[in-house]
Amino acid sequence: MESWPKARPAVRKKIAIFILIGWVLLIIGDRVDELRVYQGAQMAMYTIALASIVLLTGYSGQVSLGNGAMMAVGGYGAALTLNNLGTPIWFAFLMAIVTASLFGALLGAAAARVSGPYLAGTTLALAVGLPAIANQFAFLGGEPGLLFDVGFPPERFGEEFTQYKWFFWIASFIALIALFITSNILSSRFGRTWRAIRGNSLAAELCGVHSARMKVLAFTVSSGLAGLAGAVLAMTISLVAPGAYGLALSFALVTGAVLAGISSLPGVVLGAFILVVIPEISVALADRLGDADKLNNYLPGLIVSVLLILSVIFTPNGPGENLRKHLHKKPAH
Amino acid sequence: MIRKTRIKRTWLAAAVIASGSLLATALPANAETGVSASEIKLGITLPLTGAASPGYNKIGNAINAYFKYVNDNGGVYGRKVTLIQKNDEYSPQLSIAKTNELILRDKVFALVGPLGTANFTAVHKSVGLAKRGVPSLFLNTGFSGFSNKKSYPSSFMILPSYAMEAKIIAQFLKENHAGKKLGIVYQNDEFGIDGLGAFRAAGTKFDVSIPYTSGTQSAATAQTWVSQLAAGGAQVVVFFGVTSATAPLLAVAAAAKYAPQWILGSVGSDPLTLRALGVPVAVLNGAQTPAGNPSPNDTSDEYVKQFQEINTKYNTGSAFDDYVLQGMNVGLMTVQALRAAGKNLTRKGLVRAMETKGSTFASVAYSPLGFSRTSNVGHTGYYMAVMDANGDRKPFGGTVTLYTTDSGSGPVVKSTFKRPAMPAKGLPSNS
Repeated sequence: MESWPKARPAVRKKIAIFILIGWVLLIIGDRVDELRVYQGAQMAMYTIALASIVLLTGYSGQVSLGNGAMMAVGGYGAALTLNNLGTPIWFAFLMAIVTASLFGALLGAAAARVSGPYLAGTTLALAVGLPAIANQFAFLGGEPGLLFDVGFPPERFGEEFTQYKWFFWIASFIALIALFITSNILSSRFGRTWRAIRGNSLAAELCGVHSARMKVLAFTVSSGLAGLAGAVLAMTISLVAPGAYGLALSFALVTGAVLAGISSLPGVVLGAFILVVIPEISVALADRLGDADKLNNYLPGLIVSVLLILSVIFTPNGPGENLRKHLHKKPAH
Repeated sequence: MIRKTRIKRTWLAAAVIASGSLLATALPANAETGVSASEIKLGITLPLTGAASPGYNKIGNAINAYFKYVNDNGGVYGRKVTLIQKNDEYSPQLSIAKTNELILRDKVFALVGPLGTANFTAVHKSVGLAKRGVPSLFLNTGFSGFSNKKSYPSSFMILPSYAMEAKIIAQFLKENHAGKKLGIVYQNDEFGIDGLGAFRAAGTKFDVSIPYTSGTQSAATAQTWVSQLAAGGAQVVVFFGVTSATAPLLAVAAAAKYAPQWILGSVGSDPLTLRALGVPVAVLNGAQTPAGNPSPNDTSDEYVKQFQEINTKYNTGSAFDDYVLQGMNVGLMTVQALRAAGKNLTRKGLVRAMETKGSTFASVAYSPLGFSRTSNVGHTGYYMAVMDANGDRKPFGGTVTLYTTDSGSGPVVKSTFKRPAMPAKGLPSNS
């Protein structure tokens, strides 16, 4: 607190904005019905996951299709910590970050030599293979998965305070903190260095940037964020199971990131909103077209794929990115 | 300049979101959720597609067909009963997502017949069914853990538990297959382990024991099972898994000319589905299986006859098999439960009606129902049956010898219980 007067005006304004957003979320949470509150928690989860992609792909230029796998690592890390060590919830979330970061560092070290489509392919293999490992080891719970129970809301909030609202509060709180920290990292020299590497790796090296080390760092931090998102996802369904972190999740995240602007951190909110809205749209569509439930299982995936293809063809950096360029009238980088 | 623009935009966005959310606020609840003057909305999650779906994907339509029949004949105190089906592909986290949809979006009154042990365990915890007071009637799973009233206060089973089933099979093995080498193939989750535990408690020693992970069943994995069973010399093989795993096991064994005495657990033993999945009827001939209901082809049974008529009229295109029979029976029980809860229908009232009157409901199964204030247990017994050369099921020994037991350490006893008669025209008139 005493460092507040010393903090630069920019950071103080940022803190104020985040506190304001927190207040707004609090008020909204009280007004909407339970379905929206639950979707709010999912949105918070997606913002964290998308932030990890913005950092990794938007800033350091490394394409990863395996964010679902890193989320799985975080989710399992949190669940195993909570169930086996009986720690407080916040420690479980911390362990999610730690375990996913470690995995990310390993992945980054292995992937530092690869780039472009080869990196995408490697991470894709990870996305497919990693969750299935849960089936091989009994302590990982197999297909039915592990329980992840963050407990009931405190009793002083009253009877009307539902479990899902509690998830919304926790998820939003975590998302706000994670985004604040990420925003600071991205506007620091780390962010600038990553953008330099993305722009021209060779030129960056000539300027004294240790390209490989920074790339691994990007993977580490990004995976930590993804792991946190994975733990938040686990909280919302009280379950960690391989099916929750499948390929569809990785693709949805990539699509959300591209649509929202791959290098725009504020855009992750828009991206998260789109990801939560897509199932709603598909429910409405399926109802209109009849044979609702059969369609319902495939429509979200179809919509995501179509959106991804369209945006790759027309706006490779995402419509959000184009909008940003247009508004700021200067190149993104 | 850019900073000011950003802050302005933030305020604007916040204002938009806040006002938008005020508009989206739900209207205050009207009477009981899912019940209106003209309709009662019920929901079910089950595998309509996916590896585990063969057979089970007919249950929802069968329940619905029965409801349509009842609706055409006055409904329940004038209200139409509708069933909303959601496909969860037997995957627990999909069950959670779909149940959230049923409860939060479709706002159903109760869940009926949700399918799958791991699925319902996950749903009950994650969606918080107990805290919400959402009744879940006639679970399509026999996991004995669900009979714990304290953990599952508003859930009611219908199938005998897997522990009961295992105990009855164990007794049957002792009486009819003493001294033979035994093998077991079981699904490696709470469903299969529930049975395995009861076998152990009953003292059954399996010479070959093969777990399989749900979702991995295929011709390839079945090859490994058959190799192990044949290598171990198992003469009697018990199977405790889903139908889509029974099929490759039997087909591969037949091809390898390995022909032990099969004892197929009730979950994965429907002959019609097995034949549709490629099991030759010659292989099914002689297979033994615990059964709770009469054979779906036994038109001399009043329940089967009535259900078949309803199926022909309201569920065209669906061959009448074990699953359709089971589904219609769940429909019959549900309507009796809704009636017993009275015209002023509430979730609490439904739970109370099940506890106080549930054990007297008419059901096609032969064994008594165990519903009470302290027990969620549905049916409590099986008789052993044998499949014949047509893939039809006949009672072992010629006549139905019913055995009842509990999920704990109680004995397996022969029962002389006579089930209630089918209500006239299949339309309950209880209250």
